[in-house]
Amino acid sequence: MPEAPEPRGPQNRPGDAAVGWAVLSTLLAGIVVWGGIGWLIDLWLHTWVGIVVGMLVGFAGAIYLIIRKYGN
Amino acid sequence: MTVVLADPPCKGDNGFCAPGTESFIFKPLVKWEWFNVHFTITKVTILVWIAVALLIVLFLAAVRNPKIVPGRGQWMAESVYGLVRNNIAEDMIGHEGVRFAPYLATLFCFIVVTNIFGIIPVAQISPNAHIAYPAILAVISWVMFNWVGVKKHGAKKYFGDILFMPGVPKAMYILLTPIEIISTLIVRPITLAVRLFANMFAGHLLLLVFTLGTTYLLSVHNFSKIFSIPSFLLALALTFFELFVQVLQAYVFVVLTASYLQGALAEEH
Repeated sequence: MPEAPEPRGPQNRPGDAAVGWAVLSTLLAGIVVWGGIGWLIDLWLHTWVGIVVGMLVGFAGAIYLIIRKYGN
Repeated sequence: MTVVLADPPCKGDNGFCAPGTESFIFKPLVKWEWFNVHFTITKVTILVWIAVALLIVLFLAAVRNPKIVPGRGQWMAESVYGLVRNNIAEDMIGHEGVRFAPYLATLFCFIVVTNIFGIIPVAQISPNAHIAYPAILAVISWVMFNWVGVKKHGAKKYFGDILFMPGVPKAMYILLTPIEIISTLIVRPITLAVRLFANMFAGHLLLLVFTLGTTYLLSVHNFSKIFSIPSFLLALALTFFELFVQVLQAYVFVVLTASYLQGALAEEH
């Protein structure tokens, strides 16, 4: 086609889908890993708060990682 | 309540036979055993062979006698390769990415062809609806990006940067290192495989539900017969939707592989 190619802004690149998936998988990994560690502590100490605290800690850690990696 | 994933084979003709996991199991056409390992060749195996043969033949035919003004075959082959090379490999990985273009283009074409088998009459199943095929593809991509990273930075720096993200206070490593290990080395290959597999699996089931639903509703002898029309229309619409999903998933798989390669090659990853 003779039309000029559409200017590709920063929000129009295939890498953005990859960033989206990376953010999602980091978030999930954070919650699952630290939730899992908390759950193991629960099993060990016969408590129930470990999994809750673990998931929150993992969530916070994942958010921190995402901001450091993908936030400008 | 029990969750019934694979219904027992329906007996008699009263009631709708819902498709289940048994719809993905094909009769072995050839069976043999080597050292206590069972080998079977099914329709799915043959579809993979056809896909490989088709790609080899099409690409050889397209470039065997290349012309400056390309013919139709050459134009198609060049467009697909150009798309992967320019819009994925170069855009995402940068100048270094060009050397991965052949792998990424092969991966893209293979996944597209095997996926599209899902809506081709007679074939009607994507090999990628069996987790083994996406899993092997994901393993290849996983080994590749780690290998490329180790080769460029050395194992110590490569894995060191994954485990201990540069520019983060030391105390944070206790919190971040487990997340990084899991998300980079375990979640990546698993999600790569599961995303493709689940899309193809679900797509096949969806099409089965509406096509079998159409034939079932046509066979009933009451008012419900008219519902075979919306069921048929949905089957038709979903077939086109599947085509979209099949191409999109191939694209996503390749884009993610490219992004992992880019991450492995980056100075800080």
